[in-house]
Amino acid sequence: MLKISPNELKLISQYIYDISGIYLDASKAYLFETRLSSIAEGLGCSSYQDLYNKAKRDLKKNIERQIVDAITTNETLFFRDKGPFELLQHKLLPEIIDKRTSSSSALKTSIKVWSAAASTGQELYSIAIVIKELLSDLSRYNFHLLGTDISDTAIAQASYGKYNKFEIDRGLPTKQLQRYFTLFGDSWKVKDEIRAMVNFKKLNLMHPFTALGKFDIIFCRNVAIYFTLQDRKRLFNKITDSLADDGYLIIGSTESLTGVCPRLVPKKHLKSIFYQKKI
Amino acid sequence: MKNLKILVVDDDPVIRRLLQQRLTKENYHVLVAADGYKAEAILQQKPVDVVLTDLMMPGKIGGIEVLEIAKQINSTIEVILITAHSSVDTAVDAMKKGATDYLEKPINFDELFLRLDKIANIQTIYRSAQELQHAMDITEHAASETIQALEMKAAELQGLLDELENILLDDQYPEDVRINTALDKITGLHDD
Repeated sequence: MLKISPNELKLISQYIYDISGIYLDASKAYLFETRLSSIAEGLGCSSYQDLYNKAKRDLKKNIERQIVDAITTNETLFFRDKGPFELLQHKLLPEIIDKRTSSSSALKTSIKVWSAAASTGQELYSIAIVIKELLSDLSRYNFHLLGTDISDTAIAQASYGKYNKFEIDRGLPTKQLQRYFTLFGDSWKVKDEIRAMVNFKKLNLMHPFTALGKFDIIFCRNVAIYFTLQDRKRLFNKITDSLADDGYLIIGSTESLTGVCPRLVPKKHLKSIFYQKKI
Repeated sequence: MKNLKILVVDDDPVIRRLLQQRLTKENYHVLVAADGYKAEAILQQKPVDVVLTDLMMPGKIGGIEVLEIAKQINSTIEVILITAHSSVDTAVDAMKKGATDYLEKPINFDELFLRLDKIANIQTIYRSAQELQHAMDITEHAASETIQALEMKAAELQGLLDELENILLDDQYPEDVRINTALDKITGLHDD
């Protein structure tokens, strides 16, 4: 494995921060080596400085994409932690549907949900499945389910909606697997009825995202942990701006917003926490 | 004993016994079924890692159906089909339905053992990944309970601080009243 020098560590650490906002501690050389050595070697680089130079000169940004893919952990599963999905099903969705359904029945109820670190899509598809199971008749609703991620590769896989048996085996109950997926060789593909409910696009959370509009429910789980405190503050401030005044935010079960975003207050329902804007 | 439970399904008693003997000799744990129906019954009762099944069998449950049944019961079961007249079409069809591999008759045992070795390796890696995942889930669960309790407590205290600030800065009351009201708030908290 190609070894990284202290100077290269500083250089690459800064470069990764610049392209992704992810802050990797320069003291953890092995992290850089395990994730980047195969890219460097694949491109015939003799050093990480060489890799950096090549990435900078690559106007099509293919190398940058490879580096982002290697650095972002696409560790994700269907219904990761049951808690947030039970919360969604039993509290957040019924409440928001109640609030958004107008008295004149002619209008469709419009609800926007955002999975802000969608990775390969499992979270958003899980959300879609919860919605599908909760509401028998979807024709009365207008659901906008958006998934964003910084990795092009993850977004491509998410859009395709195909998962191998190892990705499927973890978290997805057999009943739902058989109802919403079709066996495709050794993999499973999300059925069109679920696939049609969602949209994915690339987004770097360090960049502005007001253009996405306001959301009723935002999932932003296990991504901010890779950011510095300063960037986490900025991110959750922007997320609060993108949240409807009575909307809900769900973060990872081991994450905390104490000292990060005073505009949001935690609320507990059963065993899960969600956040709402402070009134 | 090797780490794989193999179910052999073949209607030909000679091939069935040959497979059973050779696999047992290689220290695999072997179960046998004489047709698709018996295979289905075994799959429903016992955990199996690999199904080694003949493609063409009498009755309504042939090799492809055994494959489908096995995958329905547990999608991580590996299925190897044994085919006499290797038509590429059936093989591709089987692979599409989730078969791991297919072998042509007469069975080349060296080839079979190599494939089983590979499957055993993958399953070992898969199991240790599952164990790690499980350990991580436990740690994460414990951590999240602690963090969430702290998060709620911090929010409660922040709420109290905001309230105290409002009371202390409310200049429509004299200072001593404000201080007393604030103190009552704090001691009231302890009474709970």
